[in-house]
Amino acid sequence: MSKPQIAHSKRRSDQLQPLPAERALEWGWEAMHEGLWREAVQRWATLRLVYPDQGPVWIQAGVAHHQLDEYECAAGLLEQARLRFPDNPNGWIRGALVAADGGMTESAVMLMEQARYRFPNDIDVWLTSAEVLFRAGERARAEALNAEVCRRFPKQAAGGCQYAEFAMRDHRWQEALSRWTRVRAQFPEHRQAFLRAAEAAERLGCASEAKKLRMGASFGADWVKSLEQTDQRDTQIRPPVRRNLRAFADLVVTKARLNLKAEANQNHLRYLWWIIDPLLYMAVFYLVFGLLLQRGGDNYVIYLLTGLVPFQWFAKTVQHAAATIIQGRGLMNLVRVSPLFFPLVAVAQNTGKQIPVFIMLVVLLFACGFYPTVHWLALVPVVAIQLMLMAAIGCLTAMIIPFLRDLLNLVPTGLQFILFCSGVFYTVDTIPEQWHSYFFANPMANLLHQYRLILMEHQWPDWGMTCWLALACMAGLVLVALVYRRLESVFPRVVIE
Amino acid sequence: MSGDAIISLRDVGVRYKRRGGLFVPSRYYQALEGITFDLYRGETLGIVGRNGAGKSTLLRLIAGIIQPDSGQVINHGVTVSLLALQAGFDGELSGIDNAVISGMLLGYSRYQVESHLDEIAAFAELGDFMEEPVKTYSSGMRSRLGFAVAIHMSPDVLLLDEVLSVGDQSFRQKAEKAMMKKICSDQSVVFVSHSDEQINRISDRKICLDR
Repeated sequence: MSKPQIAHSKRRSDQLQPLPAERALEWGWEAMHEGLWREAVQRWATLRLVYPDQGPVWIQAGVAHHQLDEYECAAGLLEQARLRFPDNPNGWIRGALVAADGGMTESAVMLMEQARYRFPNDIDVWLTSAEVLFRAGERARAEALNAEVCRRFPKQAAGGCQYAEFAMRDHRWQEALSRWTRVRAQFPEHRQAFLRAAEAAERLGCASEAKKLRMGASFGADWVKSLEQTDQRDTQIRPPVRRNLRAFADLVVTKARLNLKAEANQNHLRYLWWIIDPLLYMAVFYLVFGLLLQRGGDNYVIYLLTGLVPFQWFAKTVQHAAATIIQGRGLMNLVRVSPLFFPLVAVAQNTGKQIPVFIMLVVLLFACGFYPTVHWLALVPVVAIQLMLMAAIGCLTAMIIPFLRDLLNLVPTGLQFILFCSGVFYTVDTIPEQWHSYFFANPMANLLHQYRLILMEHQWPDWGMTCWLALACMAGLVLVALVYRRLESVFPRVVIE
Repeated sequence: MSGDAIISLRDVGVRYKRRGGLFVPSRYYQALEGITFDLYRGETLGIVGRNGAGKSTLLRLIAGIIQPDSGQVINHGVTVSLLALQAGFDGELSGIDNAVISGMLLGYSRYQVESHLDEIAAFAELGDFMEEPVKTYSSGMRSRLGFAVAIHMSPDVLLLDEVLSVGDQSFRQKAEKAMMKKICSDQSVVFVSHSDEQINRISDRKICLDR
């Protein structure tokens, strides 16, 4: 039993060996870093008993006492430090600062003269010498010494910084600002030179200059210089308060064009589908009604297609436009754009896709012996009226759907109903005479009738009906545009609720 | 803060409908309530607040995208834009096409975007990729293109919603430098950020939305 006890006591004596000085001093430094000055004083006192040959236990103890305004204790400890460690300039530096703050200016100045003699190559000695004089109120001598620091240590920023700090402490902000500028010119990456200069600029009331300097601390001198060199406005674009009609139309057309391009990019045959699709569509009708059923008499297929092609344009456009405001909820909440943009893009996009369909229809008319006449010129106003009609109805539907979303499910049925009420599959003669006025009150039925008059009957359209329709479409468009204007800021809320 | 107030908010409140329908009574979520402040010319105003505090709603109000349910937002005749990244982007279109439409949606004219295309391509560091469909881009590349388009916008009041965290580390620094350049000009800026450090460094004043 005894042997292990002896071994144990040996281990204990090993553990009681003093720690290496560097590690032990950390205990004192820790309190200093945390600003616990009283605690630091006590720790350094304890450490002095074990490590009296270490400079910091004397010097830092003096600093801690200094922080507690205990000048006599501090001065005594620092005097000991100078005696014990004559090669350590901190004994003189700290001693001078304590003396200066304790009101013993002459003693402080004398200490620093000694220090400069002993440590002529130590920048801190020179900086403290200037500092002591500055605290003593001897500005001129302090600045002269500071100039000497700058001359002796040109590769260090501390001299210039002290010079600027002197101006800051005297509240000479303009002077300080220019001194900091000089520091930055020599030491462009000196972060403190930016931050302190920002403080000076703020004191001068130059908020924007202060902001620039604050950011310069993060981004460097080159960035600040680039601010002065480039005229931001040259490369910047100032958006208008509100787009004018021309810019809005350009935006709608460009978006529609790019949507068509994106749509084409999704397929291998790209734009070729714009021709294949209507060709197949017409071929199906020719096959079913022209060859298989052989009904409706001569030219029934042409009759059918001259109605179906414009109607499909209308139906696809309205169907597409109906959901556009809801689909545009993300964009609407990101940029300020009139909600009319969304349905109008659908109208423009479907119009672009319809052009090849009309071309195919004209080819078919040629093939079937319906050659163009002067009456075809009337297609221009008729197509324009259909465009206005689609825009009015498309925008109206798109406007209502965000408030009554369930209506979106009724749009296909509604279009189907209009299809059967528009005389696509039957002629006007099959409708009793007394119902004609009601039949033509349907704008699509009216328009299809005009198309057929021009393309098949080689007649001018019914100008009276056409004019009334044009006026009604225009009035509808204006009304819809006004309502949109009123609801402009309502839509972005409604679509996300 | 001295100077002219260019945008004033007076006791502004916004509420969103959360639930409701034909047979279900509506319930509302109060996103903002009793907000009053002025934005001054040349000022950088930071907005902080936790998620859902209404920061983005506040920017949309200032931008004029939405109107308040109560109170007033008074614009003293200045242009206001939210710096929207990747607005209107379409994956099927090339970088060039997306730059054009995105720029136009932000308020540029087509000519203005087209005349800045070289700068946009250079800033986004996309090179030949500008000709490729955006669907082939990485998310970082998309962000770079979006930022490169938007950075040219210079309204009287610029609204930034967490836009300084785009792309990789090096582009983020570049973006931040470019944005700070803008902030240091006479531009009035309102910006939202989750970074307190960023808000303190950049802004002249800050508003904390806390409920």
